Amino acid sequence: MDINMGNGGIGVPVVRRDAMAKVLGVAQYAADFPHENTAYAALTLSKVARGRISRLDTAAAEAVAGVRMVLTHRSLNESLGDETFVMKGGHMQSSFLPLTSDEIHYAGQIVSLTIADTLEAAEEAARLVAIDYAREAASASMDDAGLTEEPADSGIDVGDAEAAFAAAEVKVDATYVTPAQHHNPIELYAASAAWQDGKLLINLPSQWVMGTRAGLAKVFGIPIEDVHVESPYVGGAFGAKASILPHVVLVAMAARRLGRPVKLVVPREAGFTVGSFRPAARSRVRLAATRQGKLTAVMHDEVGQSAVIDHVAFAGMEATSKMYASPNIRMRAATVATDVNSPGFMRAPAEAPSFFGFESAMDELAVALGIDPVELRIMNEPARDPVSGLPWSSRLLVECYRRGAALFGWSDRNPKPGSMVAADGTLIGYGCATATYPSAMAPSSARVRLSADGSCVVYCAAHDVGTGAYTVLGQVAADVLGVPDELVTVEMGHSRHPSGPVSGGSITTGSAGSAVHMAARAVRERLFATVAAGQDRSKMTLADRHVVLPDGSRRAISDIIGGLPGGVIEEHADWKPTDMDDKTMQQGLAGGMAFAGPVGGTHVSFSFGAQFAEVRIDPLLRTIRVARMVGVFACGRIINPRTARSNLMGGMIWGASSALLEESQIDRARGRFANTDLASYHFAANADVGEVVVEMLDEHDSVVNAIGTKAVGEVGIVGMPAAIANAVYHATGVRVRKTPILMEDLL
Amino acid sequence: MRPFLYSRATSLEQAMSEAAQSHAAIMAGGTTLVDLMRGDLTGAEHVIDIGHLPGLAKVELDGPVLRFGALARMADVAELPFLKQNYPALVESLQLAASQQIRNAATLGGNLLQRTRCVYFRDGVSDCNKRVPGSGCTALDGEDREMALFGASDRCVATYPGDWGTALAAFDTSIEISSAAGTKTVKFADFHVAYGDDPARESILQPGEIVTAILVQATPAGRHSTYVKVRDRQSYAYAVTSAAVALELDGDRVTAARVSLGGVASKPWRAPAAEAALVGQVLNQAVALEAGRAAFADAKALRHNGFKIDLGARTVARAAMVAKGKH
Repeated sequence: MDINMGNGGIGVPVVRRDAMAKVLGVAQYAADFPHENTAYAALTLSKVARGRISRLDTAAAEAVAGVRMVLTHRSLNESLGDETFVMKGGHMQSSFLPLTSDEIHYAGQIVSLTIADTLEAAEEAARLVAIDYAREAASASMDDAGLTEEPADSGIDVGDAEAAFAAAEVKVDATYVTPAQHHNPIELYAASAAWQDGKLLINLPSQWVMGTRAGLAKVFGIPIEDVHVESPYVGGAFGAKASILPHVVLVAMAARRLGRPVKLVVPREAGFTVGSFRPAARSRVRLAATRQGKLTAVMHDEVGQSAVIDHVAFAGMEATSKMYASPNIRMRAATVATDVNSPGFMRAPAEAPSFFGFESAMDELAVALGIDPVELRIMNEPARDPVSGLPWSSRLLVECYRRGAALFGWSDRNPKPGSMVAADGTLIGYGCATATYPSAMAPSSARVRLSADGSCVVYCAAHDVGTGAYTVLGQVAADVLGVPDELVTVEMGHSRHPSGPVSGGSITTGSAGSAVHMAARAVRERLFATVAAGQDRSKMTLADRHVVLPDGSRRAISDIIGGLPGGVIEEHADWKPTDMDDKTMQQGLAGGMAFAGPVGGTHVSFSFGAQFAEVRIDPLLRTIRVARMVGVFACGRIINPRTARSNLMGGMIWGASSALLEESQIDRARGRFANTDLASYHFAANADVGEVVVEMLDEHDSVVNAIGTKAVGEVGIVGMPAAIANAVYHATGVRVRKTPILMEDLL
Repeated sequence: MRPFLYSRATSLEQAMSEAAQSHAAIMAGGTTLVDLMRGDLTGAEHVIDIGHLPGLAKVELDGPVLRFGALARMADVAELPFLKQNYPALVESLQLAASQQIRNAATLGGNLLQRTRCVYFRDGVSDCNKRVPGSGCTALDGEDREMALFGASDRCVATYPGDWGTALAAFDTSIEISSAAGTKTVKFADFHVAYGDDPARESILQPGEIVTAILVQATPAGRHSTYVKVRDRQSYAYAVTSAAVALELDGDRVTAARVSLGGVASKPWRAPAAEAALVGQVLNQAVALEAGRAAFADAKALRHNGFKIDLGARTVARAAMVAKGKH
């Protein structure tokens, strides 16, 4: 471990460096960048879920004053490079690119892009594109009759779980259902494209500027260096902006054909099908235990909604299989293909749905055993990963539970359902659940420049998707270089910067942070070498813009660097996770998806958390309110407690929202999402959120990476839906095995 | 979007004259009309802005009839001390609607004329007799949790979404309508039209007519009144069920009652059966629940909204008990 705790860079709750810019409205988002002479685009979407376009008439649309182009499958008529689906090693949000054929694969598919001098004219023209469809029967719900389950992979087997389950003294066998959900970031999907001398400049909100660059280069058949992607600020992403959405390609294509910049902001309702979504899922969980509460079998069968156009499986078995000590484990995953836009990554894509079922089942087992749910989890704590047998890089789940139970006041809980009632008759329920998320990492580069005045600039093509990465990466550099945090500038979100990883899988701090750490150390080494060649560098330190020599004497950075040619020290670093080979690293740095972990050669690395909820239920109306949430997490070293807390708290609030509100309703008769606006797709308002307590344990992980950080971004959501469902059971005695849990489920 | 003409009216007379032309739309606060126009749901070609016209925002509460100017803002009216004290149901219905920002802009008259939140009406795509007469009603075999139990037909099962209108139905309310022909008042019960044969028609308002005031007969029942709104989300959500109850009491005995229902009907829905079940009774939880059940005795459920019969009855019961407990 090489962390200089003396400078206050790491572990300090530094205020977000972009906070004021965002509060004042001066932070420019993708749609805010004005290209000169921009034309505006609007979408027309398919009204049917499956079939073909049988008639297309664009005459009325083209007659609207100011319309410059109506791009349809007829007029696109150009082959695009065979870039593939992001989950098949490419960068596209879907294998299917709209306007490349007359086929309709899902409702809300883009069927034309109109471009005009004004947004109003483009929208009017989009309305006037006349299309008839030869409609075919469609199934947008995995519950439709006649659909079949396809195994998603070979599963996980330890021991003989079926036999152990059959022979067990106490068991639970239940099925839990979660709905489709949509990200609905407040910043809508957008793209603004301009071509100059054969080079593409594109502004869009992105979690992966390097991947977007590589993918667009392939689509348009141009060198990767000729694509420039800008995404300095992102107004919510949650996985939705990690791949190239179809409108991005179409906007860039239109801009090239028109020889003029084109901008599109995708309206809210269109975002439901232009982007991806969290697919519906079903978990059958079977748990068996001795009467004393020792697990003897853990079985989890997950079935997830997939798409006909893209096979997508988000099974949480890698995490659920590792939660508890059991000699017998059996995990299976399957998918059901439906006529929908391709599902995609959304906050804890595998873990959030699967832990609702898995941790609800643990609660049901605790009830069946008559054992406290917290104690049941603690007594089944595994010393090593029960699947691989490898040790954990760190695992403080038991400590999370002990601390969380104390913070929450778990000992006040009367285990009898319905026994805790407020003076006004309100039913009170306490519930808990485990959260976990894999600590994976990806290769990353970074460049750090230190100037004579002590100012420092960090360059990395990573992203701050609202998480605080601008602040956190700056703290890493400040810590190594012994400069005040306010002298550090961080440049991210542009593909011209040294390669950064996708902002997905909660990897940014561990990956880009490690690269920044490496580059900053290289700067420091040069500083030391410059100031005192031949001296023992291991005995030198940096503090307060001075190098402290082994004899205690101090040399100002300004003096050292001021004398150098150019007046700066600048170093580039290419960092990779320990277990990754060089070839994979190079693929990753070139904009490919290259992850290492959470299971490495010697260790298994996950973040953990214990989550608690208090619900209050109206005895007459059965409305459910979350009065309190407590989450205690162990995520390795916390670089910035303020931004980490905010991430975890946001996840917990989203988990509550998911438990009680969020569902993309599928109109099965028409095979489409029905509630495609924010008046009918509910997520939590401030009034729905009671007290939220977040604590992070002081966890030292010397294995996971050079800076000791584990995944923070997504773990907060994972246990919350089950904790709330378990609390609802405790308040009412009614076990609801689906989300959202609505008042009618308790009537 | 569709090209349209926007004009700021300089007088009520001018607005009434312009509004008499076809495809004209009156805009007051603009909070609902702009949404509807963005969704191409109005066919409006001429928007006549009356939001700034003087004299129409006046609220007079000291006579035998409470008079609310149609342009009074929801947020302002919700803060009036006299109303809070004497007509809590009206204040609560305003406070529980929309968001503070919307209430700051939205007017009382415009609020009455907001259109249904039925997703099939709003999506601009599905068959909808309200949007495209004769095209059919998608909700009949679609997602129908939000749909109506009362006043619906096989042509339309959408609900009236308003809170203020539901609360007004629990009082003796009239609507003042002005046009070039003069000013008239109509009973509130006759102002909205249940979605029967012609779902596109939601009120009796004719082209050229403008709501200029809302008139509520003063009543001692106002003091014992409340509006209870049950919704999935704690704020900024439409009612799954709601109820307004206004009572006159002699001790614990109900001498007069008005009950109205929201979230369950195609228009603000008065429930005389519930009123009858309350009057003459010593009000307790059992009587309140009985009244709630009476309110829903004639409800017609679809596939997924049957729970609202039970929930709606409970909502009435809660409202009755809260109303009793006021002052």
